[in-house]
Amino acid sequence: MSRARNRIAGLISVFGELLITAGLVLGLFVVYSLWWTNVLADRAADKEGAQVRGEWADPGPGALDTKGGLGFLHVPAFGGDEILVKQGTGSTVLNNGVAGYYTDPIKSALPQDKQGNFTLAAHRDGHGAKFHNIHKLKNGDPIVFESKDTWYVYKVYKTLPETTKYNVDVLQQVPEESGRTEPGRYITLTTCTPMYTSDYRYIVWGELARTEKVDAERTPPAELR
Amino acid sequence: MYGWIWRHLPGNAFVRALISLALVLGTVYVLFQYVFPWAEPLLPFNDVTVDGQ
Repeated sequence: MSRARNRIAGLISVFGELLITAGLVLGLFVVYSLWWTNVLADRAADKEGAQVRGEWADPGPGALDTKGGLGFLHVPAFGGDEILVKQGTGSTVLNNGVAGYYTDPIKSALPQDKQGNFTLAAHRDGHGAKFHNIHKLKNGDPIVFESKDTWYVYKVYKTLPETTKYNVDVLQQVPEESGRTEPGRYITLTTCTPMYTSDYRYIVWGELARTEKVDAERTPPAELR
Repeated sequence: MYGWIWRHLPGNAFVRALISLALVLGTVYVLFQYVFPWAEPLLPFNDVTVDGQ
């Protein structure tokens, strides 16, 4: 009788310890997602960004290198740092703390193109969380893209706080869902929403306001000063 | 379970505590280095693109 009871008590205590362990592992996963992936991604992005800047300052043999990175996105409303922009929106690209421009399902235009939509994605949380503060972008806010020789100053004109991931039309070269019907030079930011999940997508559209040549000191345009 | 591990570790309480700490750190390392990176893409927390998939 008492041996059987001991056995049951032992089993229950093992079960309880397993539950505690599972709780700790889930807690660690949150730490990993929201902190550790940021550490790794920021480290990788800083390194790659420095490489791009190094190449700009001292172009070695061989012309334009779009693989290492196309340029930097500056969004004052996000507060803080520049965001390296690279080609592609796969997890191997985005997990390194950069914004990627779409090659699929709808190919992005590039800022220097005469017209088209420059479409970007980046993480809302973890992996650098570069678009974490996308909800702070309001109409009229500047989004500045810095290439080797030009500042492209875009102004936000429309936000879509919630749409489904199936809504690929937001990436169209003329994004009609934003209310525009004429070809122009647009920028589209996409990320997930609500925060910490990816049930929906958050979209921000902007339009090119002007461009500025980069001078020798790389003086930023008025919007970033 | 943890009691069983503790009883089967060699040495006195201090040595056991040290070994326990090493085991905990090793477990955290394996989780961060291998298990979480594997599990993360399988969970619906971090898909940021519109792709219709």
